[in-house]
Amino acid sequence: MTVPGGPRRSDVIAMLATYGNRQPEQVTEAIDSLELAWLMHQIEQRYGRLDVDDDMFARMSTVTGVLDVLNDLKVGSSHD
Amino acid sequence: MAGSLPQLDPGWVDDILLAGAADDACLHIGEPVSRAELRGLVAERHGALADAGLRRGGSVALCLAPSLAFITNLLASWRIGAQASLLDHRLTAYETDVALKRLLPQVVVAAEHSTGGPLRGFAEITEHVRAYPGQPAATSHAVIQLSSGSTGPSKIIARDAASLVAEVKRYTQIDGVPRGGERIVSLASMVHVLGLVGGLLYSLHAGVNLTIPARMTADGILSAVAAGSRPTTLLGVPFHIELLASVQEPPKLPQLTGMTTGGELVRADVHDAFVDRYDVRLGNMYGMTEVGVIATDLFGEHRPAVLPAPGLAVREEAGELHVSLPASPYLGDQDPSRWSDGWLHTRDAGTVEPGTGLVRVLGRRDSQVSVGGLKVDLTEVEHMLAALPEVTGAVVVHDHAIEAYLMLAEGAEVSAVEREITIRLAAYKRPRRLHVVEQLPRTATGKLVRDQVVLRNQPVPNSEGTDHER
Repeated sequence: MTVPGGPRRSDVIAMLATYGNRQPEQVTEAIDSLELAWLMHQIEQRYGRLDVDDDMFARMSTVTGVLDVLNDLKVGSSHD
Repeated sequence: MAGSLPQLDPGWVDDILLAGAADDACLHIGEPVSRAELRGLVAERHGALADAGLRRGGSVALCLAPSLAFITNLLASWRIGAQASLLDHRLTAYETDVALKRLLPQVVVAAEHSTGGPLRGFAEITEHVRAYPGQPAATSHAVIQLSSGSTGPSKIIARDAASLVAEVKRYTQIDGVPRGGERIVSLASMVHVLGLVGGLLYSLHAGVNLTIPARMTADGILSAVAAGSRPTTLLGVPFHIELLASVQEPPKLPQLTGMTTGGELVRADVHDAFVDRYDVRLGNMYGMTEVGVIATDLFGEHRPAVLPAPGLAVREEAGELHVSLPASPYLGDQDPSRWSDGWLHTRDAGTVEPGTGLVRVLGRRDSQVSVGGLKVDLTEVEHMLAALPEVTGAVVVHDHAIEAYLMLAEGAEVSAVEREITIRLAAYKRPRRLHVVEQLPRTATGKLVRDQVVLRNQPVPNSEGTDHER
């Protein structure tokens, strides 16, 4: 049910790993607010600006949550 | 309920902070707030707090996220002449309860309703004021904050109004600080000293517009800068430099004159990337909750060193930096290793260059780390874990994130430890990973080994999984 062309788990982890120059295996499932700010920026640079509200941000506290929100927003599927 | 101790006349709030033209656009928190509006809101809060029993010499605790409500309740508390304790809104209910029992305020102000969420620069709060079975202020200090810990329970840090006013005036004498008519876009929490004094109090005093971005994303921050035309300084912590430096093609921002960060030093490559992208100066401030701003380098001329602010002296003693301070900033039992004979012991390693007085801060000498500008004491986290009945030993370390290595008691489940952590520690203090190990290695003299390479190679118990992520 993932949006074709949308970010996969490995993509999200790779984007998170760029914060602090980490290896992918050093990235944890839980995401803190600094990582979230960093990740949002990486996602928007790759996929364009997103309209994310407070509820969606609150769900983005784990990698799984991020994938769910990006799926809901159909990130990566639109054709500009 | 009134206290009997002498205090700086509460008129300092009107004279030093709120004075100025009625139509002065002093704040922007979602929308503009004029000086006249702010004075009206503070007067309204003054009445509400007085109705709850707060008097001159009394005590109040504020448990409020960065917000207009925080500002108006704090200024109103000081205007009444009461002592305000600032509790981080991220503390868990348990931590807040422990703090209130220690501080014993007479009145507590907390959020009844709050919009907000991750990455919001400020909340919109409807506050609730309640009486608490506390006592009047025992001292004449104006503001109380809790340190992060650093061996033993957190210290109660107190500053009087004269110290706050002196710090605001210190800022006015530092070259490179924004002047009246300019703007500060602050990413630094107004509940902590950098955002509180360097941001809020200084701005109100000097007629500088203080803007808090709605969203603390790269886009949110840059949009907030772009939305105003006054010469603008960004105030934040090193994380924000990293975030902004990673924006590939930032918009042209002719109004941006520079950025200043407090907290740990910005890495040279990140510094260069930021200056390259935005073509503005990047300044550095060194300070502590106990005393406020200590030394600065706002034009980046002395990087990585900083120059002591006017009116302060800094010396090095056995590799540790000391700052001149006439009285101990700590309440309760006095520890001469924290303050003695007019000198505050910073717990920062550093050097002072003879002649120039330039200060180099080299890192902490204790177990305190900075998580995005927020101070966490690893020893506090470690003690909390080791005290749990499920845990027979704990080591807490920090590299990119806080991680804990644990020995569990017979039959104990790591999920129980995780539950306790959620209750007892604010989110930013929690270990990101719990590693359960069979044995915590010790040195020949019996001390726990903290080398992460050694810890990572410890065998795990057979029946347990390996690592537990939170």
